[in-house]
Amino acid sequence: MFRLIGRHFKEAFQGIFRHFGMAVSCVMAMTFMLLLVSFLTLLIGNVTQITRTLEDDIKVFVKIDSYVEEDKIDTLKGRVEQVSGVKSVEYSDKDQELDRFIEGFGEDGKLFEIFREDNPLSRAFIVEIENGYSISEVSRSIARVDGLKGVDFGGTTTEEFIEVLNSIRKGGYVVVLALTLLAIFLISNTIKITIYNRNREIGIMRQVGASNSYIRQPFVIEGIFLGLIGAIIPVLTSIFGYKALYDTWDGQLISGMLSLQPVNPFAYQVSAFLLLIAVVIGFVGSFISVNKYLRWSR
Amino acid sequence: MVHLQNVYKVYKNGVNALNDVTLDIAEGEFVYVIGDTGSGKSTFIKLLDGEEIPTKGIVEVNGINVGKLRFSRVPLYRRNIGVVFQDYRLLERKTVYENIAFALEVINKPKAEIRQRVREVLEIIDLTEKTKSFPTELSGGQQQRVTIGRAIANNPKLLICDEPTGNLDPERSNEIVELLERINERGTTIIMVTHDMNLVNKYRKRTIKLDYGHIVSDSKEGGYIANV
Ligand SMILES: Nc1ncnc2c1ncn2[C@@H]1O[C@H](COP(=O)(O)OP(=O)(O)OP(=O)(O)O)[C@@H](O)[C@H]1O
Ligand SMILES: [Mg+2]
Repeated sequence: MFRLIGRHFKEAFQGIFRHFGMAVSCVMAMTFMLLLVSFLTLLIGNVTQITRTLEDDIKVFVKIDSYVEEDKIDTLKGRVEQVSGVKSVEYSDKDQELDRFIEGFGEDGKLFEIFREDNPLSRAFIVEIENGYSISEVSRSIARVDGLKGVDFGGTTTEEFIEVLNSIRKGGYVVVLALTLLAIFLISNTIKITIYNRNREIGIMRQVGASNSYIRQPFVIEGIFLGLIGAIIPVLTSIFGYKALYDTWDGQLISGMLSLQPVNPFAYQVSAFLLLIAVVIGFVGSFISVNKYLRWSR
Repeated sequence: MVHLQNVYKVYKNGVNALNDVTLDIAEGEFVYVIGDTGSGKSTFIKLLDGEEIPTKGIVEVNGINVGKLRFSRVPLYRRNIGVVFQDYRLLERKTVYENIAFALEVINKPKAEIRQRVREVLEIIDLTEKTKSFPTELSGGQQQRVTIGRAIANNPKLLICDEPTGNLDPERSNEIVELLERINERGTTIIMVTHDMNLVNKYRKRTIKLDYGHIVSDSKEGGYIANV
């Protein structure tokens, strides 16, 4: 068994050395693509984190109509909780609303203490939205519940910003996928050349009945190996480059409002992802190539 | 051993390589297949080893319906048949010994078994003194004997040869046929495609003649008579 695996490894390395120039250019292109993937993955990871922070901060304030009696509040709260996308609902009575109002004005807010006796504010629910739901949509659904006056979610700018982040993230996924497919194509082309170099040998193997998987193995090892070598620089970049960036910005964006993913574990997770994707690319690329060849000459 | 039932082979380019071929070859037979160039001899061989699939009809070898064999099943099937071509297709970087052992290594035979079997094969093909030579150091006839050795390494029940003597002078050709006869005597069924009428007339065997993809004669006593 080990003898066999050893043989396949030996052949895989021989394959690489036999067409060294080709292998080098393949690895270089692979490195470039994985660098892009690394950059995008780092970006996506942080965008996801920022989106989540923003979403966590978003609270929707729902004013309760004054005709709703005190003992109906709980039923009403229950109904708001039922709305899909609502994570939690907190009741805030007139006094608390005034506190909030006064707080909002800072030092000058004290002036409004005069309203404490005859409070003109409405009672309200403070609603937290589940991550991933559109805030405006959930707000609209809440507004349809009877007994509520108005729905107010801290402005549309945050939501628009979240939308932008979501598009960045989705775009990032698409590009990563496209790069992966491109890399698979690249590996499969390189392996194709190795296959043609060993045309005669494969022909004989087929003639005497070597199994398809036996024939495939050295090529798959070579493909995975090329992928992994191509991942070295991107992995180092994502660890040290990200660390440098993180240190430069002190781990924060927009003067401390948003924080970046910490180097540990994030950069290591990205590295693991890069290695995984390199293996997958190497495996799939070479597998496709060998299978095409084997099927072409039955 | 080999059974063809109304076999047709039409290639993608529309060439009708085999037309309604029906034949049976029993276990232990030695059969020549002759015919003009383009008459379908190699196509017949390719149907037997699963390289090509019949367009119509049944190709059965050893009870296995070769035409219906799934892609992943072909390798296992090939372990039971040996194939030899006109060009020797040896690995130049390997010695005679290694070339024969290769056929057993790639089907995961244990090392000890390989060593023993290669010795036996070298005896059969009478090349024990060339064990460590490389193919380029051998004559054409010797190279072809190595190819035959590799083809029989796994003890196949059927050995098919497509013009094995095509590149050899008469003396070497005789040696090859005599070698095939020895292998045949050990129980291996042999199908040999050839253009060499001297051989066909000298070593008389059942002879099947193809013309434009049809069997035009199938003579048990063999020998070639012009204009059959
Ligand atoms: N892969 C292929 N694709 C298309 N046509 C083919 C293919 N192989 C063979 N043919 C055609 O099929 C016919 C029979 O070919 P085949 O190779 O079986 O002849 P043959 O009897 O072996 O000839 P030769 O004595 O020259 O080796 C020929 O007309 C040939 O051109
Ligand atoms: Mg031919």
